[in-house]
Amino acid sequence: MNAPSNIYWLILPLVVAISLVYTASRYESWPVIWMRSLRLCLWILAALVGTTAVLLLVNTQS
Amino acid sequence: MSENPVPLRDPARAAFLAWLVPGLGHFYQGRTGKGWLYGTCILGLYVAGFILGEGKDVYWRWVSPLNTERFMLHYVGQFFVGLAALPALIQATIEHFRPGTNFLWGFMAEPSQNVINGLHLRLGKLYEIGTIYTTVAGLLNVLAIYDAYEGPAYGRGDEPETVAIPADAPTNAHAGGAA
Repeated sequence: MNAPSNIYWLILPLVVAISLVYTASRYESWPVIWMRSLRLCLWILAALVGTTAVLLLVNTQS
Repeated sequence: MSENPVPLRDPARAAFLAWLVPGLGHFYQGRTGKGWLYGTCILGLYVAGFILGEGKDVYWRWVSPLNTERFMLHYVGQFFVGLAALPALIQATIEHFRPGTNFLWGFMAEPSQNVINGLHLRLGKLYEIGTIYTTVAGLLNVLAIYDAYEGPAYGRGDEPETVAIPADAPTNAHAGGAA
């Protein structure tokens, strides 16, 4: 694996697992678990992408 | 889950089984869907991390927690994956009392600093990501253990807050199930 270019993809399984397990620990109804975990997953990814974008914007190095 | 309480069936045993193998406590309680979900997510993450770190990112050494340079904080998280991380604790204990013993061909034994440096050079960030995966897997299993012991910690809105009771408990005894 070419680490520098593909390393960001490794965040996906982590975020999916965290979203599913966290939501499953809070609810017992499957429709709620799927919906909430999808929402949490998107929230975490959006936060990560947003943070990365801000860091890229303020980055002063080439 | 709606109005019916979650049958927890001997919560302490279920929690122990959930620690031993992620998802096993939920299978024991008959919550097979959750058992599969926890087992797949937690063990999948742990195995992926273990492979990324070439099996050298899960190990333990017996030192004082105050010795922050050498204390293996990430193993504290990994420990909660249960059986899959237990050989590291056994290896460290054997090494502590009988240094130089080659138990299980050194599986999950503490690698030498040279080996770790070599892994960092060769794998780069992948070794660190492997450590993160395995540690997060253990921490996620803490949530699963809690779920096996107490039942789901209901959030706001979607579901009415119900009380989770052990299946064999008297009808007037309640265990907490709501956060």
